[in-house]
Amino acid sequence: MASPAAELESRAVESSSRWAEFRAWITQPGVLCSTPVLLLLLIGFLAPLLVVVGYSLMPPRTFDFGHVPTLENFISIVNESYYRSFLWAFGLACITVVLLLIICYPLAYGMAKLFGHWAHLLTLLLVIPLFVSENIRLFGWVLFLIKRGVLLGALESWFGIGADSMLYSVPAIVLGLVYVYLPFTLFPVMLGISMVPRDVTEAARDLGASRWQVFREIELPLAMPGILIGAMLTFVLSLGSLAESKILGGQAVIMIADDIETAFTFGQNWPLGSALSVLLILLVGSLVLYVLRRLDLDEILGRR
Amino acid sequence: MNRSSSKLTRNLIALWAACILVFMYLPLACVALASFSKNRYFRFPIPKYDTVWYSKAFDSLTVQGLFETSLSIALLVTAISVVLAFFGSLAFARFDWRGRKVFQKIILLPIFFPQAVLGLALLLWLSSIGIIPDWRTAVFAHLIWIVPIATLVMSIQAYSFDPALEEAAFDLGATRWQTFREVTIPILWPGIFSGALFSFLLSWGNFPLSLFTTGADQTIPEWLYAKMVSGYTPLVPTLGALTTLGAALVLLGGYAIIVFSRGKGAK
Amino acid sequence: MTGTPILRLVDLSKKFDDLRAVDGIDLEIYDGEFFTVVGPSGSGKTTLLRMLGGMDQPSQGDILLRGERINDIPANRRPTCMVFQSLALFPHRSVGQNIEFSMKMKGIPTADRRARAEQLMAQLHLPLDYYDKNVAQCSGGERQRIALARALAFDPEILFFDEPLSAIDYRLRKTLEKELKDIHRETAKTFVYITHSLEEAMVMSDRIGIMREGKLVQVGTPDEIYNKPRNKFVSEFMGEVNIIEVQKATEDKLECPSLQTQVVGPSQPTGFNSGHLVIRPESVRFLNNSGSAENSVEGTLYNIYSLGSRMQYQVRVGTHVFLVEKLREQGYEGELDDVVKIGWDARDSILVSD
Repeated sequence: MASPAAELESRAVESSSRWAEFRAWITQPGVLCSTPVLLLLLIGFLAPLLVVVGYSLMPPRTFDFGHVPTLENFISIVNESYYRSFLWAFGLACITVVLLLIICYPLAYGMAKLFGHWAHLLTLLLVIPLFVSENIRLFGWVLFLIKRGVLLGALESWFGIGADSMLYSVPAIVLGLVYVYLPFTLFPVMLGISMVPRDVTEAARDLGASRWQVFREIELPLAMPGILIGAMLTFVLSLGSLAESKILGGQAVIMIADDIETAFTFGQNWPLGSALSVLLILLVGSLVLYVLRRLDLDEILGRR
Repeated sequence: MNRSSSKLTRNLIALWAACILVFMYLPLACVALASFSKNRYFRFPIPKYDTVWYSKAFDSLTVQGLFETSLSIALLVTAISVVLAFFGSLAFARFDWRGRKVFQKIILLPIFFPQAVLGLALLLWLSSIGIIPDWRTAVFAHLIWIVPIATLVMSIQAYSFDPALEEAAFDLGATRWQTFREVTIPILWPGIFSGALFSFLLSWGNFPLSLFTTGADQTIPEWLYAKMVSGYTPLVPTLGALTTLGAALVLLGGYAIIVFSRGKGAK
Repeated sequence: MTGTPILRLVDLSKKFDDLRAVDGIDLEIYDGEFFTVVGPSGSGKTTLLRMLGGMDQPSQGDILLRGERINDIPANRRPTCMVFQSLALFPHRSVGQNIEFSMKMKGIPTADRRARAEQLMAQLHLPLDYYDKNVAQCSGGERQRIALARALAFDPEILFFDEPLSAIDYRLRKTLEKELKDIHRETAKTFVYITHSLEEAMVMSDRIGIMREGKLVQVGTPDEIYNKPRNKFVSEFMGEVNIIEVQKATEDKLECPSLQTQVVGPSQPTGFNSGHLVIRPESVRFLNNSGSAENSVEGTLYNIYSLGSRMQYQVRVGTHVFLVEKLREQGYEGELDDVVKIGWDARDSILVSD
């Protein structure tokens, strides 16, 4: 049996070596450089999320933390069919992702492989709208689609065709989502396709693969990281979108972000809004973490 | 691959690209069109064109106030986010350290997060620690979303940075600070500049975060939204067109600076 | 080499904007031969190969495979296969899947594919347990062998090689060159290889074509290229040789301005006026103590290099620096700055045009 003094000493040695190890880690330039950003995210991202989780466990219509935690809000979400807005958001997000992948893949392929230096100009032109507030752009669609607007007004006065406006319907919301999130699918997919070396596709073709086989066996799997990021980004952003359904959808359907906003504002029911947010966060978070776990960002962004 | 068929593919895709460009700019064109309409309510074809709403916008005190708020937020966000994101991008792409892969993923989380929910969460957090939101809290809110994006933008440049350059400068007798100033910053400059441009423009156009975190103050996108939903005024398309034009000018100017400085550097 | 031409190129050209990368090439490649195109970077050899493989379209001229025009047949339907400079291994597939790729495309059953892949791996000295290995984890030499196995699995009539050994270190490259020649013998297929190294070409090829600015300068067996280079460009390409500018003096004498003397050269072609005299460093002898030669000059010993089994000497004569090479044990014994006398025989010199 070791003497108490020796034991104490060995413990001290152990803790001091651990301390040295920690000091060595903390003084690495990478750790130091990451600290400011991490602190910002700690107080501006993690803390608010914890507050939301906290509120979600408070009784309905309370405005502070001084109550016994309860699951009442989550029960009422199920009972009062809030899940419908979840389903709508989920369904519309899925449709948006599928449509955008079909729309963006050929363009992304052209920009990554065919257009040469024209691709830079195209990129610039497609980035510009991103910097215009999305509600202005959606308002532009309202002007285009509304009765007596650009489309229907032109049809009526120039061709004498009268038609009903598609505004304030589900297709209008999908149009808005596709429109707003197009760059978010396009650019990651483009990045993914540009990661496929030309040699490799040529080699596959030379080895007797048809165009379709090259696409399925070579291009698609190698571009998959970019496609996954694009799809996930679009899905997650559509899932939490607010402006599209409000501005283009009227009250045609209510998406989850609508419900959350209403609970906080008109409803004055912070705990309910928080509970809805927690569910959305769980859904989004688990998906994001699942996809991110499978990706190596260094490879995608081009570390040498 | 057959020559004529590959040319056909190329042309088809080019046509597709043109369609998408039209699709992207169609609503902006509609807004611009509406801004020149004299009528109080928009209808097409426009009976009478006029620039009356532009002169009204320039004279309006409300618009001036909105402009000041939006600009202050965007400038402050840009200044802070450039500094934070610069160091962030070094940690992201330049240095090898234990925890880098985790850091890279943490950085992405706010970008992938629904902004409206983030705005509301920030509102709850602010009220629970007793801060009354105004335009300064909006700066904070914007930073949560914009710093990660600026970090990513700058990282792309930082990835192509060859650490041997810093080592060479150090070896040639430069101090750490001199190396940083003479080698690191100038080489990463295009990335820093793009990051700044992104920060400014994303803050300028942001709506969902501002909506919940500006308190009594109002940015241009917020005001536009409020007027769209209720109390329409023809100033909406006018102001919309103006902010779009402003953003496009900043972006093109910035792009020109990058191209110009690259050309100068090559000489 | 005689035989039937498997591949015939007729006035084959490729233009990129104003640049004629490949400029009117006429060539016949015979069934079963190992043909190598040698040229400096930018000489158009890669473009030539890509047209043969079907990755690029000719702007002009024809490619005939066994007499059939194949210009418009896409790469995947040509019975040819390319080993790329980058190797272009599929990074998301294992070694086995890479080798089996073409067979999978043809819809050959899994078991047959595997059997053939393992047979090829054995032939190319790849360990069988590499079958499931990730290609990214293989070494440079292993990747070469995988790329070759993948091409052979396609069972092409002609294999094209686009400088696949250029990124490999010297010793391994030498081994792989010989292995490639062995594979050529075993498979009896036609190999068309391109490289910038004439030395590499000499080791492996049945015939060599030297390419410059889109044109073939000389085509011949390694012996022909070595002994009868057609012009200065080809001689320079062979590595370190003495090239001396000469003008006609008399029917059998040549004037050398840089040496300020006249020398006896090989027989001059009719109408010869000026050109270059090529003398290999190993054909030049030191004449200080004994011996004689048809031509001799005096100069100072400027520097001595050890090349392993041989020694190389630089001797300044007039404004020309002569290279002399000797086996180590037959080397010159003396000091730097010695005045030395060196000489060579007329039959060891070659007269070439500009």
